[in-house]
Amino acid sequence: MSNAATNDVKRPNKIHRYKPKDSSAPGDDPTPDYMNLLGMIFSMCGLMMKLKWCAWCAVYCSFISFANSRASEDTKQTLSSFMLSISAVVMSYLQNPQPMTPPWQ
Amino acid sequence: MKLTLALSLVLLVFLCQNVGGKKSHKPADLDDNEFAEFEDFDDEGVLSSAEQEATVEEEADFPSESDDIVKTQAKKDDDNEEEEDEGVVENDDDEFEHFTDEDEFEGFDKESRPGKGKSHEVPDLKIAKVPIHLRTNWDSFYLEMLMLAGLGVYFLNFLAGKTKNGKLAQAWMSSHRSILEENFAIIGDDGLSKEAKGTGVFNKESENVYTLWCSGRTCVEGMLVELRLLKRQDLINVMTTIMKPASDQIIVKVTMDASSMDKFCFCIGQKKVMAKLLKEQPDLGQFTEKKAVENYNLPESFQLQSEIGEATSIVLDKKVCAYLEKYEQQIEYIHISDQYSGAKSQYDENQSKMPDVRPSLVFCFNVPGKGKTKTSDVDGMLPLMKLVFYCVDKVGRLALSKEKRLKAEKNRAKAAEGYLKAAHSQLQEAAQLRREEKRRLAKEKIMNEEDPEKARKWEERESKRDMKKKQAKTKMMKVKGM
Repeated sequence: MSNAATNDVKRPNKIHRYKPKDSSAPGDDPTPDYMNLLGMIFSMCGLMMKLKWCAWCAVYCSFISFANSRASEDTKQTLSSFMLSISAVVMSYLQNPQPMTPPWQ
Repeated sequence: MKLTLALSLVLLVFLCQNVGGKKSHKPADLDDNEFAEFEDFDDEGVLSSAEQEATVEEEADFPSESDDIVKTQAKKDDDNEEEEDEGVVENDDDEFEHFTDEDEFEGFDKESRPGKGKSHEVPDLKIAKVPIHLRTNWDSFYLEMLMLAGLGVYFLNFLAGKTKNGKLAQAWMSSHRSILEENFAIIGDDGLSKEAKGTGVFNKESENVYTLWCSGRTCVEGMLVELRLLKRQDLINVMTTIMKPASDQIIVKVTMDASSMDKFCFCIGQKKVMAKLLKEQPDLGQFTEKKAVENYNLPESFQLQSEIGEATSIVLDKKVCAYLEKYEQQIEYIHISDQYSGAKSQYDENQSKMPDVRPSLVFCFNVPGKGKTKTSDVDGMLPLMKLVFYCVDKVGRLALSKEKRLKAEKNRAKAAEGYLKAAHSQLQEAAQLRREEKRRLAKEKIMNEEDPEKARKWEERESKRDMKKKQAKTKMMKVKGM
């Protein structure tokens, strides 16, 4: 009994609260931010220059950004990037319903 | 005589009339000649043929309509010409015979004329290429199908990876819950709730990073357990891991109470990691030196950095050395320091300010399996958690000799002085720049000043100031010399 009492290392009166890491500092993994930016660039290229492959790349970049995103990050940005890339794909097919041609053809 | 005059007059009049009539009749004659073939026809027939000529040009666009027109006209003319339907066609041939004259046109090939029938000498139509429509031809959209399939595969991998990582975290929690509950008052705190209630679950930082904060223990301020699992939810990362195998990592960071730990700095870890740590951790670079591992009978793969030998020998006792030998592959590094400040930011080149330090113990463990981790592998990490608590208690009880303590304090004082000097020199530089800037502005002002009197006065003042400074310097030099 006394052994249990002396071995008890718990101190309920010495509790310190958790301080979450500063999210504004550049984290060790910049992948979601880079992919987000890349996705937006591809979307704009796909929309303005009517390039289907750009639009598809944008969709992939948004997906990768979403997969690697941190929980503390704003979901609105990821969602808006997604929507932009999907709109780029839809617009490029509405303007030109032709299928994509691979570069070797 | 009178009779002859009258007759001649009549003749003249008659002749005049004839001449005028001929002229007027010429176009009519021409017209008549043009439509000479249709003389037998009624006016309507003439009109229909004219219409046909007009419609031939439009045949390309409205072949059916012209056919209809011809037919309707043909029906009207039925009374007069029974064979008008075919007669019209035949007439067309006759009508446009001069167009088929080879001598008339260059490069005209009679044989290549379009066949008779409804086409009515339709010019060679070039049918425009209609773009392939989605509804008509799915096969041509194979690249799009490929893209969608790729997205589908990525999404499926995302779900599978996310689930696997979640299961691993859950498995760790269930196997380590008992030992954590023995040592800490609260397990799991997100820092946001009003009361410090232990949630008992991980905080999900991302799909592959889980954190757990435990607090309420003797000598310890708190312990942060970070599960840095592989990015199984990202297909690209999965493929990279296939080519270059990596392990899931568990990083345990124990923050000690300020008064609980003696002053020393120590680190032991895998050689390939130590180089990176020496660059990133300022305390290791400032206070520690490389020591030989052979003295402690440790495997060659480890590298030892130590500040105070006495502290190192106390920490690396038999039990710890046995652990290091047994779990050689699983122990990435153990970093114990009273000057722990975390990794140096790459962007922050400013070394003048002393970083915020806390006495800490950091343990980094690799989960066995090299990526192909099973939940049973995670359960096997329990002995290493026991090592953590053993080290924490040991460091808490550690007491250096007076001599070593003084040495440690001296080292820290030296480091602090270095920071102060750097800060001071930076301040001096900044002050110098400000002064120069001020002078430059004043000079510009004077240059722009139109009043020569004022300019002269300012220049005199400046020269007097410079002279005084020089005199003061020389005086100081003289005093020093004496």
